[in-house]
Amino acid sequence: MSVAIKIDNVVKRFGKDTVINGLSLDIKPGEFFTLLGPSGCGKTTLLRMIIGFNTIDGGQIMIDGKVINDIPTNKRNMGMVFQNYAIFPHMSVKDNIAFGLKNRKVPKDEIERRVDEILKVVKIDHLKNRMPQKLSGGQQQRIALARAIVIHPEVLLMDEPLSNLDAKLRTEMRNAIKQIQRQVGITTVYVTHDQEEALAVSDRIAVMNAGVIQQVDTPKNIYQRPANIFVSTFIGLSNILDGRLESNDNGKAVVRIGDYRFHMNNILKDSGANRPVKVSVRPEEFIINRETQEGIPVTVKSSVFLGVDTHYFVETREGQEIEVIQNSDLDELIPDGTRIHLKVQTHKINVFNEDGSKSLIDRGVRA
Amino acid sequence: MTDKKRLNMWLVLAFAILVLFLIFVVFPLGLILYKSILMDDGTISFAYFVKFFSKKYYWSTLVNSFKVTIVSTLVSAILGLIMAYVLRSVRIRGSRLLNILIVISYLSPPFIGAYAWIQLLGRNGFITRILNSIFNTQLNGIYGFSGIVLVFSLQSFPLVYMYISGALKNLDNSLNEAAESLGCSVFQRVRKIIVPLVTPTLLASSLLVFMRVFSDFGTPMLIGEGYKTFPVLLYSQFMGEVNTDEHYAAALCVIVIAITLVLFFLQKYIGNRLTYSMSALKPMEAENATGIRNVLAYVFVYLVALLAVMPQLTVIVTSFLETRGASYTGKFTLENYRNILMPKNISTITNTYLYGLAAILMVVVLGVLISYLTVRKKSFLTGILDTLTMFPYIIPGSVLGISFLYAFNKQPLLLSGTAIILIISLCIRRMPYTIRSSTAIIGQISPSVEEAAISLGATERKTFLRITVPMMMAGVLSGAIMSWITLISELSSSIILYTSKTQTLTVAIYVEVIRSNFGNAAAYSTILTLTSILSLLLFFKVSGKNDISV
Repeated sequence: MSVAIKIDNVVKRFGKDTVINGLSLDIKPGEFFTLLGPSGCGKTTLLRMIIGFNTIDGGQIMIDGKVINDIPTNKRNMGMVFQNYAIFPHMSVKDNIAFGLKNRKVPKDEIERRVDEILKVVKIDHLKNRMPQKLSGGQQQRIALARAIVIHPEVLLMDEPLSNLDAKLRTEMRNAIKQIQRQVGITTVYVTHDQEEALAVSDRIAVMNAGVIQQVDTPKNIYQRPANIFVSTFIGLSNILDGRLESNDNGKAVVRIGDYRFHMNNILKDSGANRPVKVSVRPEEFIINRETQEGIPVTVKSSVFLGVDTHYFVETREGQEIEVIQNSDLDELIPDGTRIHLKVQTHKINVFNEDGSKSLIDRGVRA
Repeated sequence: MTDKKRLNMWLVLAFAILVLFLIFVVFPLGLILYKSILMDDGTISFAYFVKFFSKKYYWSTLVNSFKVTIVSTLVSAILGLIMAYVLRSVRIRGSRLLNILIVISYLSPPFIGAYAWIQLLGRNGFITRILNSIFNTQLNGIYGFSGIVLVFSLQSFPLVYMYISGALKNLDNSLNEAAESLGCSVFQRVRKIIVPLVTPTLLASSLLVFMRVFSDFGTPMLIGEGYKTFPVLLYSQFMGEVNTDEHYAAALCVIVIAITLVLFFLQKYIGNRLTYSMSALKPMEAENATGIRNVLAYVFVYLVALLAVMPQLTVIVTSFLETRGASYTGKFTLENYRNILMPKNISTITNTYLYGLAAILMVVVLGVLISYLTVRKKSFLTGILDTLTMFPYIIPGSVLGISFLYAFNKQPLLLSGTAIILIISLCIRRMPYTIRSSTAIIGQISPSVEEAAISLGATERKTFLRITVPMMMAGVLSGAIMSWITLISELSSSIILYTSKTQTLTVAIYVEVIRSNFGNAAAYSTILTLTSILSLLLFFKVSGKNDISV
């Protein structure tokens, strides 16, 4: 039942600015697909091209193989949830949800039935006859969602739907959205700049920057095996260290950061050897070594105890600041000014080429 | 991306509106310009302008106009500013009533103020006679410069008051508190914080007052006597019994337009440069004052408000007085109402309501469409529309009336003498205000609401009619009521365009005053004032607020 979306080499210009220049994507049927990127990266523009509020200035977008470039928005049969919900303030909750069905000339009793059904799905059946103005943000969001999916759209589009909610409600709503999407099984394209939200709801994520797709992958791979430094620093926190790929014997490699040498066995075979690289280490991928001299020598500058974890802010000899996260244990915190050594969990860290544009990790090898 | 067919619907609409404005705004104005430089023998020259600026008899009217306008504007600004500040900062009993009284005094046509003050302070005025008998003198009454300034100031300060009051409402009290905590005294606070922050509003509203006063002819006509201002000259050149000269009148029109144009741009320039955007989380609150401050505040606001509504009170009282010619017998009677309501027809009153309603209907429909086009369908065409529809803002009513008579007195556009010409002129005079307020209303509607409707399968037309229009309705409706009140008190173009069949209330009042039928004039005025008050109450009910922006 669900449809596939094929975005083929599309171009978008605003005046003389080319915002998107030849972007391609394949979204699978029934998939929860997220466009993630900093503001201004073109993700909303792309979404609005799919629904038809923005023209497609080059390339084409296909739904199940059918080109939709010239189909007007109101004939595209896509549901959209807007950032500000866009609830019609002069209509009751029921009339808001029935609006799309009326436009499709659905018989009255069926409208009634479908509205009641969807109200139950989004869990606001008790608000059916209320006017929307006095309702909370979360409730308005549920109306918007119900209104968009009650028309049985082929595609559901969501433009930062949670950004106007407070933190607690945001978590609650994102679980609700994911669950409802599973339940109805519509191909969904979701736009957000919030990486945690993207990781939580998506089947797959496309990370965008400056109109260009950086990586398309599952949340887990996006986080653990970022395709380049942009992705590794945009998703979660990464410490980027200058390093050297000293030798590379068929993927079994020696990497050096300063005087700290370690072995890796998942470097791409063709990445060469004896070249500068960028080593990306997430704060939780460090091992603090206080016994020996092995590791990167650093000085503890400050620490924050956060219950589950303890964050240490340390500085290398070269003056680079590094954040380290350790599970809190019963020992005392390491005092400020203490000199320690940092080792890395070699199977988790990522290595990029010198300009950070390409990962040197061979994802086929179990590290 | 938009359906081509739908796009055409808006394009056709924009084009149709453009044609309307070309016919009813650009063409008459162009004609005036042309006539002002066209000599009787068919040559082109600036002789009429030379004539104006070379004879003191003529150019002195311009000087007079500037004098009364500048003085009245200054007085209005000071009164309005103090009034607004006192009412916002000191708790005054009955402040809501005062607010309504002030607004009402503003909404009645200025010339009624002139005529009412003549009843009180004129040669034979009520107060003049009392003073004369007490001091045994022969006061000549308040005419000329001082009379005009009195009427204009009391009539115009409410405009400044309303604007400043609105600005003060947006001024967060924490600014005051911050200043106080930094060691500012009350007076320093007013001088260093409040006045600078409301200065843009003060300037903008003062310039509105200036434009309004500068082009008003009814007041100086009635109370000016020998003191001739420019609009009076214009009117008499056009309508006078002797020496009327079409081309010369056209040249005078051009001079007025030039002056208002300069003022308009000045206001725009100042308005853009000095605007702070503020929105108060915690507005200033009126507090109980004590001692001499409290007494002064009460005396000031009640005195000024009383002076402001004095014309209305006078008119209402005199409408129940028996008259013999221009003087009163001292007896109470309903005779005046019988005179204006009982005989033959009451078309004067029905005309006023009908024309007002018809004009409002047109203004609202066109205004909503135009503002929608200029906000949501930006294009070269709607850009032109945007500029063109603001034109009437700078054209004084009398100039519009004159240009209409020139333009529409022969086939195929023979409209002069009809009700239609009056309705269209009312419509055009009010158009810029309606467009401005509708534009503000549309600006507050997020485009995504319309997009939501379209994504749910609605056509653009359906979206506009079912979503956009209903969402605009509340704001548009309260705007329409304000327009209605303004239109039923319009004089300056109606007085030029009316015929005996299309006479409206304001015209009738003016005519009766000129004929010294004060009883009838008062009765007509009372009906007008009551209509305004009822409409105002309706406005408060519809808009659910106590503030007014005009």
